[in-house]
Amino acid sequence: MQIINPATVHPVIVIGSGASGGMAAWNLTRQGIDVLLLDAGDKFDRSKYWTHVQPWQAQERAARGEKPPQFFLDTAEQPYTTPEGRPFALTRVWGHGGKTNVWGRVSLRYSQMDLKASERDGWEIPWPIAYSDIAPYYDQVEQLIGVCGGTDDSEALPGSKFLQPPPAPRCGERLLMRGMAKLALPVVAGRRANMTRPTRGFPACHYCGNCGAGCDTASFFCSADHLLPFALKTGKLTIQSNAVVARILTGDDGLARGVQYFDRQTGAERQALAKVVVVGASCVDSTRILLNSKSTRHPNGLGNGSDVIGRYLCEQIRLNVTGYFPQLEGTPTRNDRGIGGEHIYMPRFNHLKGKGRDYLRGFGAQFWNTGASIYGAHYGSEAVPGFGASLKRAIKRRHPAWFEIHPFGEALPYAHNRITVDPAKVDRYGVPVPRIDYHIGENEKKMTEHMADTVEEIVKASGGMLVNYRRGQLDAMGSAVHEHGTCRMGTDPKRSALNRFNQMHEVKNVFVVDGSAFPNASEKNPTLTILALSWRATDWLAEEIKRGNL
Amino acid sequence: MAISERPDVGRRQALRALAAGAVGAAASAGWVESLAALSRQQAHAHAADAVIAAQDWTPKTLTAPQNELVVALTELIIPETETPGARAARVNRFVDQVLTDAPAAVRDSFTRGLAWIDARSRALFKREFLAASAEQQTALLSRISSDVEQEEAIGREFFQAIKGMTINGYYTSEIGLRQELGDNGQLFLPQFQGCSHAEHQ
Repeated sequence: MQIINPATVHPVIVIGSGASGGMAAWNLTRQGIDVLLLDAGDKFDRSKYWTHVQPWQAQERAARGEKPPQFFLDTAEQPYTTPEGRPFALTRVWGHGGKTNVWGRVSLRYSQMDLKASERDGWEIPWPIAYSDIAPYYDQVEQLIGVCGGTDDSEALPGSKFLQPPPAPRCGERLLMRGMAKLALPVVAGRRANMTRPTRGFPACHYCGNCGAGCDTASFFCSADHLLPFALKTGKLTIQSNAVVARILTGDDGLARGVQYFDRQTGAERQALAKVVVVGASCVDSTRILLNSKSTRHPNGLGNGSDVIGRYLCEQIRLNVTGYFPQLEGTPTRNDRGIGGEHIYMPRFNHLKGKGRDYLRGFGAQFWNTGASIYGAHYGSEAVPGFGASLKRAIKRRHPAWFEIHPFGEALPYAHNRITVDPAKVDRYGVPVPRIDYHIGENEKKMTEHMADTVEEIVKASGGMLVNYRRGQLDAMGSAVHEHGTCRMGTDPKRSALNRFNQMHEVKNVFVVDGSAFPNASEKNPTLTILALSWRATDWLAEEIKRGNL
Repeated sequence: MAISERPDVGRRQALRALAAGAVGAAASAGWVESLAALSRQQAHAHAADAVIAAQDWTPKTLTAPQNELVVALTELIIPETETPGARAARVNRFVDQVLTDAPAAVRDSFTRGLAWIDARSRALFKREFLAASAEQQTALLSRISSDVEQEEAIGREFFQAIKGMTINGYYTSEIGLRQELGDNGQLFLPQFQGCSHAEHQ
């Protein structure tokens, strides 16, 4: 193992190597700045992925004692706590690339409507930046990572000029589109970071649909494939694997001077010193690190004089609805693998004339698992009545006919939705673990009603049948895996932790560049915006270093 | 992030259902949904793969007579037709593995269900289920697969549980996925064809 000599003061330490940290490391090193990148895990070996292992081949492999890569962090190793009766399903990937190894890849730009929502409705604080500030970065990110999609821009979903061609919709998606058209609901080609054209030396997507197993051809964006190797080539990047960061260390002046971390394999405590620390460990872990970084100058956690850090956690709400189209029953089984998820998207529409309701913010919808499943019978098949040859026949007939509708809605930021560190519960290194206290309010409940009404209208208009339908039953809190808001940007240091360049108001040599910096969630998947924001923040950071300010 | 829009969401939802404790179909008892969720998870996480492929296999949770009963029940649920059924796909091994990984209380509910099947068969037909005729076996399954019949809850719940496990085990096998459902197994396509049917446009 590489021992980091504490006498070395690195120009920049980046914590985390996923979308936010990977982007920071890539953008800083290409501008000539030396970076030490700490990741809590190791590199996943792409050559050992089970991307193209058929289920029955998996059986043979398993019999030989082989295992697919274990991406997800086990709570037995790293627990977190929740209050009684308020579970929160946290998903963490510790290892190079973080969650971008297995992410859903949906890549939707935030619009001016999203960034200025609170200026319109008065709920909490707006983003300190406008769409025009981030749009050039979206342009760059989309060209870098390869996003496919249509040319169907709208106020809710802008900016398609650099998208690669989208894959054609599946039969069930066509029927859903037709239903939505009847209802005058918007529907567009899905926008996803699956490369449909060869990009930067990586081959195009080959439509195996098994993206959730990790892509062994790196045909969708993963920080470990698309950023870190390029950063390493500059000679400016050092990666320290298995470095579980516990705290950011500060000096008497209150500025950061490095980090304390634990070696995940040996448990040994280590330190690394730096002039600047960039935090990109993902919302919950970044918040844990900041709150555990208490000192005389920062008694409430690093840069948390405002007491906003840890508060305003927003995680989207979601319905999962399953059904089938009788019109597609008994049609030949098709290869519906495609780019993994759905090929269409329903953007937010409740801002349109005559479509609004009495609640704030909005929702969109995704449609994954529509078509013949690559995993065998759709689990809705459990609800097909009876047994025997007739059941077998019915399941086969329905195999190509399944659809799913998944509305994602914005949850408002509330001060009481909060991550704290739990001094009564520490991890294997003696470091307090995060405690997540999250529940939704009346606004989200009203939105859920609208989501359910919309789903029912779409199903009716497109001629589908619902299966196992439980109106308004939300997925477990945390399931969207879109945590935001606990270290938010803003213009007012009393109400925000970061300035408009993700730099801490109170600690100028610390930047926080992941989803925790978002003042609100929107209904959209955040990774594209995280990449754009991290790029923008580290451009500013590089300029400040060159100006001698850091 | 969806890590959310990934197609393996079934597994994730299953894990969460387990974590949250029986977020099941409204009509399902907790243990039934728990087994269904666990079997979805097992199917997608390849958790039962090694036992299904093993040369020599003995059940870990089921007794030998219970295993025989499970073989018969799963084959009745997904029988051999033009394609092989649950027996050929070794769904009993999948069931045993799911039970082995299930919480003890859930496992006990399932084995109570197995015992109930034999008891009910004795009451109706004066013989245990495996000794009953094919017509009698089908008649008993018909009684517990329908909401109309006034069978005890344990019987109806047990049927739902083993049916869910059978479906998840069978249709992730090569027999179920390729031979029965007709999946072409193509994993490398230069283009995604999509829907070209005029009637769907």
